[in-house]
Amino acid sequence: MNQEMKDDSILLKVNHLQTSFFTHFGEVKAVRDVDLTINKGEVVGVVGESGSGKSVTAMSILKLLQHPGKIISGNIIYKGQDLAQRSEKEMRKIRGNEISMIFQDPMTSLNPLITVGEQIMETIIEHQPLNKKQAKEKAINLLNMVKIPDAEKRMKDYPFEFSGGMRQRVMIAIALSCEPDLLIADEPTTALDVTTQSQILKLMKNLKGEFNTSIMLITHDLGVVADICSRIVVMYGGMIMEEGSVEDIFYRSKHPYTLGLLKSVPRPDMDQQSRLEPIKGTPPNLVNPPEGCPFAPRCDYAMKICTTTCPEHTYIQEGHRSMCWLLHEEAPKSDFLSEGDELYE
Amino acid sequence: MNYMNNENMLEVHNLKKYFNMGKKLFSKEPALLKAVDDVSFTIKKGETLGLVGESGCGKSTTARTIIRLHESTEGKIILDGVDISKLKESELKSHRKKMQMIFQDPYASLNSRMTVKDIISEPLLVHQIGSKHERMDIIENLLHKVGLKKEHATRYPHEFSGGQRQRIGIARALAVNPDFVICDEPISALDVSIQAQVVNMLQDLQEEMGLTYLFIAHDLSMVKYISNRMGVMYLGKLVEIADSEEVYKHPAHPYTKALLASVPFLDPQAAKPEEDILLDGDLPSPLNPPPGCRFASRCKYAMDICKKEEPLLKEIGTNHLAACHLL
Ligand SMILES: Nc1ncnc2c1ncn2[C@@H]1O[C@H](COP(=O)(O)OP(=O)(O)OP(=O)(O)O)[C@@H](O)[C@H]1O
Ligand SMILES: Nc1ncnc2c1ncn2[C@@H]1O[C@H](COP(=O)(O)OP(=O)(O)OP(=O)(O)O)[C@@H](O)[C@H]1O
Ligand code: SF4
Ligand code: SF4
Ligand SMILES: [Mg+2]
Ligand SMILES: [Mg+2]
Repeated sequence: MNQEMKDDSILLKVNHLQTSFFTHFGEVKAVRDVDLTINKGEVVGVVGESGSGKSVTAMSILKLLQHPGKIISGNIIYKGQDLAQRSEKEMRKIRGNEISMIFQDPMTSLNPLITVGEQIMETIIEHQPLNKKQAKEKAINLLNMVKIPDAEKRMKDYPFEFSGGMRQRVMIAIALSCEPDLLIADEPTTALDVTTQSQILKLMKNLKGEFNTSIMLITHDLGVVADICSRIVVMYGGMIMEEGSVEDIFYRSKHPYTLGLLKSVPRPDMDQQSRLEPIKGTPPNLVNPPEGCPFAPRCDYAMKICTTTCPEHTYIQEGHRSMCWLLHEEAPKSDFLSEGDELYE
Repeated sequence: MNYMNNENMLEVHNLKKYFNMGKKLFSKEPALLKAVDDVSFTIKKGETLGLVGESGCGKSTTARTIIRLHESTEGKIILDGVDISKLKESELKSHRKKMQMIFQDPYASLNSRMTVKDIISEPLLVHQIGSKHERMDIIENLLHKVGLKKEHATRYPHEFSGGQRQRIGIARALAVNPDFVICDEPISALDVSIQAQVVNMLQDLQEEMGLTYLFIAHDLSMVKYISNRMGVMYLGKLVEIADSEEVYKHPAHPYTKALLASVPFLDPQAAKPEEDILLDGDLPSPLNPPPGCRFASRCKYAMDICKKEEPLLKEIGTNHLAACHLL
């Protein structure tokens, strides 16, 4: 693919994003130099353990950071304009019309005192030139689309009368009301049963198919990304460790952290005799994070340089990059380079 | 029935736990929430039985009734040959020691004002085990077993990470040297790398101490991996139980099939299950459930008989039981 063709397909491009929280304990460097691209109609998965900076990245893109959080540097180019430079008023327009977000806990994101129908209509009227009657019609259509049975009747219900899965579907309906170009879904299925999760994932797949919506899906569930994403970004300690197509990550990962994640979960062919191989230790504290590679304290391959200097990203091939010293041309040859190829035989 | 079968660590016979939710409007009958309704299974010594099913299907209530945090409505609970379901509190104590529980939330289940040492020694004190000096030895030994250091004994729960707190909970459960441990979602709140650490530890401890587990979790692939046998619950009923491999390879009950088909597959290129097995709709209310098969409202094979007659659990293969009129 040549450069110009590619640019045309880019919807969002985040460059060198750095976000910190200035707390009593010091500066929490939650996002440290993140580069991220989302193409039109693409589902990108962002994975990593708790505290790796997934949500803060999303909140930075939408400029929804709460005090004491602050974007330190970087730009967020959406359809050619830098969101980092937009005012709150302009952002509000973008958030309602172009980029929507779904959060993990549907109960806290819905107002318990207002009926489901009114909440959807409110969002529609705020962002679209429709009257009440038209908004109502649209709200019912949306509820039908997300498969709420008896949509017209259920409009009058309050959020507590809905199950967790139904509330999440309502959130999706609200997020879709403006036909966004980009949907950022932060752990949309984490609180749900697998059965409900598969319904929501199916819904998101349809979205992509029908409306060419781009989706940034944040999750810690590797199964979920394997299911619906085409590209995966693996985060740790506020940085991107590895990025590639689903196949790059699952079949030929070139990063010790990604491999550690993959080996921590039981693979389909494993029986009780085979053992999980967890990553040792615990995730880092991001107040005054250590110099060098953030994964170094837990990495079985860590070398001297890893604790002093942070590696750059190395491209294994187009679209597949890994931030690890082992990929440096002067690094000692290591069995790790082929390890990712052998996980799924 | 042979209560002296000493191969079995636990036998649960026709266990019921109904919660009385007060009177229904316009009705003389009380509204009964049948959280566990006529559930039977056994766990062999040294084995792990996994229990799965959607939220609200009665997994925790089953566990809590077995360990007698709830009084059972009906049924027998036979722990190592002794029916403990009718024992009085005073008689129960010596049996309680054999059975311990690890809870989901490592944050909420530890008393934040107690040191690790006090938390772990609490069950020792209750069961009057050891002198003060001996108890300290036991605690150090336990901390070592669960991968913590003896310096940790004087610290408070908030000084630990989630995974470490779960280790403290496990150390407390193991303090009285139980034979049978109920793990209710012991890893759900943890990061995947920490989940794997805790699961490996539970397996090592099982081998070392000859433990028997009842393991409850949402994560079906983890349950399959850790369990010898696996039970599937739906709305208070056990609908299928078999060896874990068998459940995964040859699920018989329509609900089990749908549940397994919903698990996102870790291998992106592996064949995806057919879309039409996936479940629509939500779990119906467990309040006064209708007669017949409780899955009928979501089952695409439902027949007339399903709405009238309740299917009973029956043997459909070696050690493989399922409750469905189709079988
Ligand atoms: N309001 C805040 N004040 C201080 N620190 C914060 C705040 N919000 C997030 N952080 C810190 O930023 C870091 C990244 O957090 P983030 O929420 O992005 O993680 P995450 O990858 O989304 O994790 P999870 O899987 O738990 O949601 C963490 O160290 C977190 O403690
Ligand atoms: N103390 C109680 N009083 C009344 N109803 C209860 C009580 N405890 C549980 N229930 C109800 O019993 C049913 C079974 O709940 P239980 O907690 O056993 O489900 P579970 O399978 O453990 O679900 P989860 O996966 O969400 O933990 C639910 O409908 C629940 O609301
Ligand atoms: S840079 Fe070093 S510490 Fe970091 S992942 Fe690579 S080998 Fe491990
Ligand atoms: S008994 Fe009938 S409704 Fe129940 S699972 Fe079997 S076929 Fe479906
Ligand atoms: Mg988050
Ligand atoms: Mg439970």
